[in-house]
Amino acid sequence: MKTFIVILLTTFIMLQTQQISAQEIYPFASIPAELKNRANTVIREMNTAVTMHSNDNVTMAVKMAITVLNKTGEDKAGLALYYNKNTVIKSVKGVVLDAVGKLVSKFNQGNFDDMSAVSDFSLFEDDRVKRFMPSSVNYPYTVVYEYEIRFKQNMFVPAWHPTPYPDQSVESSSYTFSCKPGDAIRVKVTNYQGQPEISEGKEFKSQTWRIKNCLAFKPEPYAPNPETYLTCVKIAPVNFNYYGYKGSYNNWEELGKWIYTDLVKSRQVLTPEIEEEMRTLVLGISNDKEKARKIYDYVQQKTRYISVQVGIGGHQPMPATEVQRLSYGDCKALVNYTQSLLKAVNIPSYYCVVNAGNLKKNMDPDFASMDQGNHIILCLPLKNDTTWLECTDQQIPFGFLGSFTDDRVVLACTEAGGKLLRTPILSPEMNLLKRKAILELSDDGNISGKLETRFSGSQYDNYSSLINEPLKEQLKQLKTEYDIDNIDFSNLKLSQDKSDAPITLESLDLTIANYAPKSANHIYLVLNLFNKVRSIPESRTRTLPLYINRGYTDEDELSFKLPPGMEQQISPKTFLINSAFGSYQVTAQKQDGKLLYKRKFVLNSGTYPATQYKDFVTFMSDISSADQIKFVFKTDLTKD
Amino acid sequence: MKYFFFFFTLCLPALSFAQDFEYGKVGMKDVNLQNKAIDSNANAVVIREFGTAAIGVDDDRGKLYIDFQYHVRIKIFNKNGFNQANIVIPLRKYGDDEDMISDLQASTINYIDGVLTRTELDRKKLFNERKNKYVSLTKFTMGNLKEGSIIEYSYRLRSPSIFNFRTWEFQSDLPKMHSEFIAVIPALYNYNVSLRGVQKLTSQNAELYKDCLRIAGRPFDCSKMTYIMDNVPAFIEEDYMTAPSNFKSAINFELSDYVMINGGKRSITKEWKDVDYELISDKSFGTQMKKKDVFTALLPEIIKSETDPLAKAKAIYHYIQGNIKFNGFYGLYSENGIKKAMEIHSGNIGDINLALIAALGAAGLDAEALILSTRANGTVNTLFPIISDFNYVVTKLNIGDQVYLLDGSDPLMPFGLLPLHCINGQGRVINVKKPSYWYTIVASQRQSNRYVLGGELGIDGKIKGELTIYSQGYAAYDKRRKIHAATSVEDYVEKLDEQMNGTSILQHRINNLDSLDYALGEIYNVEIMAFKNMDADPAYFNPFFIDRTIKNPFNLNDRTYPVDLGASTESRVTISLKLPDNYTLADQPKDVNLALPDGGGRYLCNTQLNDHTLVFNQLLQFNKSVYSPDEYLTLKEFYSRIIQSQKTDIVLKKIK
Repeated sequence: MKTFIVILLTTFIMLQTQQISAQEIYPFASIPAELKNRANTVIREMNTAVTMHSNDNVTMAVKMAITVLNKTGEDKAGLALYYNKNTVIKSVKGVVLDAVGKLVSKFNQGNFDDMSAVSDFSLFEDDRVKRFMPSSVNYPYTVVYEYEIRFKQNMFVPAWHPTPYPDQSVESSSYTFSCKPGDAIRVKVTNYQGQPEISEGKEFKSQTWRIKNCLAFKPEPYAPNPETYLTCVKIAPVNFNYYGYKGSYNNWEELGKWIYTDLVKSRQVLTPEIEEEMRTLVLGISNDKEKARKIYDYVQQKTRYISVQVGIGGHQPMPATEVQRLSYGDCKALVNYTQSLLKAVNIPSYYCVVNAGNLKKNMDPDFASMDQGNHIILCLPLKNDTTWLECTDQQIPFGFLGSFTDDRVVLACTEAGGKLLRTPILSPEMNLLKRKAILELSDDGNISGKLETRFSGSQYDNYSSLINEPLKEQLKQLKTEYDIDNIDFSNLKLSQDKSDAPITLESLDLTIANYAPKSANHIYLVLNLFNKVRSIPESRTRTLPLYINRGYTDEDELSFKLPPGMEQQISPKTFLINSAFGSYQVTAQKQDGKLLYKRKFVLNSGTYPATQYKDFVTFMSDISSADQIKFVFKTDLTKD
Repeated sequence: MKYFFFFFTLCLPALSFAQDFEYGKVGMKDVNLQNKAIDSNANAVVIREFGTAAIGVDDDRGKLYIDFQYHVRIKIFNKNGFNQANIVIPLRKYGDDEDMISDLQASTINYIDGVLTRTELDRKKLFNERKNKYVSLTKFTMGNLKEGSIIEYSYRLRSPSIFNFRTWEFQSDLPKMHSEFIAVIPALYNYNVSLRGVQKLTSQNAELYKDCLRIAGRPFDCSKMTYIMDNVPAFIEEDYMTAPSNFKSAINFELSDYVMINGGKRSITKEWKDVDYELISDKSFGTQMKKKDVFTALLPEIIKSETDPLAKAKAIYHYIQGNIKFNGFYGLYSENGIKKAMEIHSGNIGDINLALIAALGAAGLDAEALILSTRANGTVNTLFPIISDFNYVVTKLNIGDQVYLLDGSDPLMPFGLLPLHCINGQGRVINVKKPSYWYTIVASQRQSNRYVLGGELGIDGKIKGELTIYSQGYAAYDKRRKIHAATSVEDYVEKLDEQMNGTSILQHRINNLDSLDYALGEIYNVEIMAFKNMDADPAYFNPFFIDRTIKNPFNLNDRTYPVDLGASTESRVTISLKLPDNYTLADQPKDVNLALPDGGGRYLCNTQLNDHTLVFNQLLQFNKSVYSPDEYLTLKEFYSRIIQSQKTDIVLKKIK
């Protein structure tokens, strides 16, 4: 009996020792000082183990300890676990510890709130989320999570992004991927020093990546795509199972072929009636591009964008016949529908996966995977005249992509195999704003006149939010575009020329009461009314390269008729700034008895070393002050 | 909440008395309708809208419910009106009970080649989204939509919440040609009915509906009330306004009393004394206010040796701020009970502020509950006690003649200042021992900023000196939030420095960052690049580089609703600058002294040169928190004059 008690006691003590080992309690005091710098939270330890048991059974087990340093860090303390029919939350639990590591509370799945996870742009999606938010009134505190998720597919294997937030430092993080020894996988490692640890067991072979002591950093303006400087590991199994679809791919060619043949092709069947309707529609047109224009116009007239993402519908378009019947669909459905209609008149086209958004992101040429796109567009491989169609927007001109999908590598999915294509570039010269205003300044400081602006290239979309608004709303919003006190507009006309090089046209009459104020002895006239550049933040410690995503050209020409007497005081002014970032040229001079102000600003796109950021600040700030130039007239020459 | 159990059979009235318009029967008048006829700015218009609500009884469960039917026909003029065809119907959950939808019908009607065609809703495209534990959403969109389509849908919704009869909104973001609502209420029930908004009813009618229902063989009468509004303009939101629901034309019902089957009358929310009684005896409200024992043991630790009542109150307030974290949910009632909230350090508004009241009470202070409606929730009805109008509770502390309004939910709010979302007209004070009364809620401090720059202008064109910024009230609150949002004070200052081109912050000091009850002080040693070229003669310098008014926030030509700023504001700038010896003032901005009518606001600006020291003063005050629509153009002009004044420069000239 006695021995038994002793053994029990020993076990008990051992357990105790284990529990209070420094590893497990994450005391605040043991965080290295440099990790607290610029950080609101610190990942103390995060271990992610992804195991591919079979193609339809992948598990992810995560243990994460995060220390919240202050209230601002609180939004990173919570946990959100997304799930759906194919993603199951197997278990989740955790503890909240105080600064010295003493247990404050425990929680489990019952403490999570369950809610739908339908994105703003969707009518419906079948994703849901379980959320947990710890409540602790004292900082710092630590939350330790342990959870396991099961995926019934291996098309999307959770990737490793160990440093997702700038204001979060990481003490230690690891990622292990395990699969059967015979399983073929492809791995993409970005910004990782060294080689993974490899272990080969009987049942599984594993690779582990680790990082330690990654500092928090300051977010920087004009920074490149975070993927270019953050650590990431992505896994793509060669053989996959996705919603019952089985297949394999090693490269874009194979993946593109699978997307087209397994997800898209069967959705393109049309009724004979609609095929006939299309043939009739293009009757008499011989040119393929003109035929396509006609059909595109038909689609734009007929359909609208409604997003419904259900099951594999998240990656498979709704059948063309259904779009025909309902007159709506999401990007996949509308591209698939347009492609089907074009096929009915024998015009080939490509269903293209793209990463859409203002920031240009490419499909990675070296690593094919399903998770790189978020949008679908259509490509017409016309001879010497490749034409791109955005089918989701009912207003956009034929053959124009705009800044949403310009200048980036996309995946064209075809029966013959996938291929990478690049969408057309919108150069700084093409992204042109050209403004002309004929103005008159009265001797009491009021401005009146006419203004015309032409927007092209990426600037074609400058007025996209107001172009389709009713006139009353346009007039209201225009006061934000031209934010000048006392400005009023009349005869406003906004129109769009939707030809191959589309242009948005603005024409209006305007008045600005009391624009040029008087001081005791002077009248002040700021010449640049409509287009001022703002200076950009300086940086004491720039670390990332300077990245200018898209360039543009602005040309403003303003002529002022001045009251008698004032024009005599004009002496010409000139500014000229040239740099790698672009150029700026301003002249103000007397011409035909008027004051003529001309401004041309070109901003180039490009990537520059971090050291040049301060030059860019100077460039922008010089322009910003040159934009403020004013003529100061003596009032004693005017009537009062 | 209580339920009503009927132990008799009750015959449900067939709702055939309602004069609904015929579903799907679209005439050429609708087909030819143009937006010019109603509102040329409209992308879509409601041609007709009809709703009825009546009380029914669920025999199986012996529970009452509200039977609501809705039917609408909308004409879509253009593509911008297409989003009107995406319909979301929220269904609420009340414990085990929930709203139920049935008889949903939805169609798109198009006129093509001289023929009216109807596209019905595909049932497979009808979605039910379980949003969270309180709400699920029935969602669908209309098929085959074109410019000029007419869409029509109708449904029936059964709601167990009879306390809030349906609110009928006559006004929405679409103009409406005809909106009609019929409420059929058994004579057993009395509802307080209130009409809100500026639009007038076109017609209103109340009829006796004999024998509308039969309970245990006994006939009962109903009131059938019809409300019609024709040609209702679209509701357009404006900046600086409180909740749209305060202004939208709508009709509200709240149950006030009912007659029991045996003839006795039972009041639900008839008078405030009844509400007082209910609240005080409610275990989630009054009971929590009285739980002084939760704090008795803690008090010595909290108030330490303080004897002054105000000092005690501050200590308790800051203690609650630091010990119960706001969980994001508003509400009058305690969600967890204050004892539990103290244990888990988390609670809703009810938990936090009822705990504050209990704690202050435990210290022998006179604390009452002030219930209110937040700005986004709309103003409360002061004619009837409509408890569902209220969504928030704060503490009213009385020390002598002094009143302090306290909300412990935000750790950065100073003692005595309510968050801006609470400043919304009248609230009702609930006292454990005395009858309740109305109290007008105003912000106890104005939003105030003071900038003082003292320095010297060198011949290199640089100003070297000290810039001090004092912030009080909401200004201090906003600033503290910003500083706390940065990872450290150093990071905050670094960012500030980087954003001010041409200005370098050499040294900094922040005072009272955590002493919330004092003005926040920021002291910066700065170097400002004021003149790129001091040799230019004359040299221009704009003194309005601190707190400059660039935009006119009131830039429109008309205003429909009051401008509500929430709190009065004040901003002062003082610059004193020693000039180099060989420079003098050649020109300066005109001295300005502007005032809004009735002491509504003031703008002062003057420049002086005293013995080589340039002194510049500026004051901008808004003394009211709400300005009527009539005052809008005056405000606009006021701002405009400020902007004009700030465009002019100080001109320096070399003494030759």
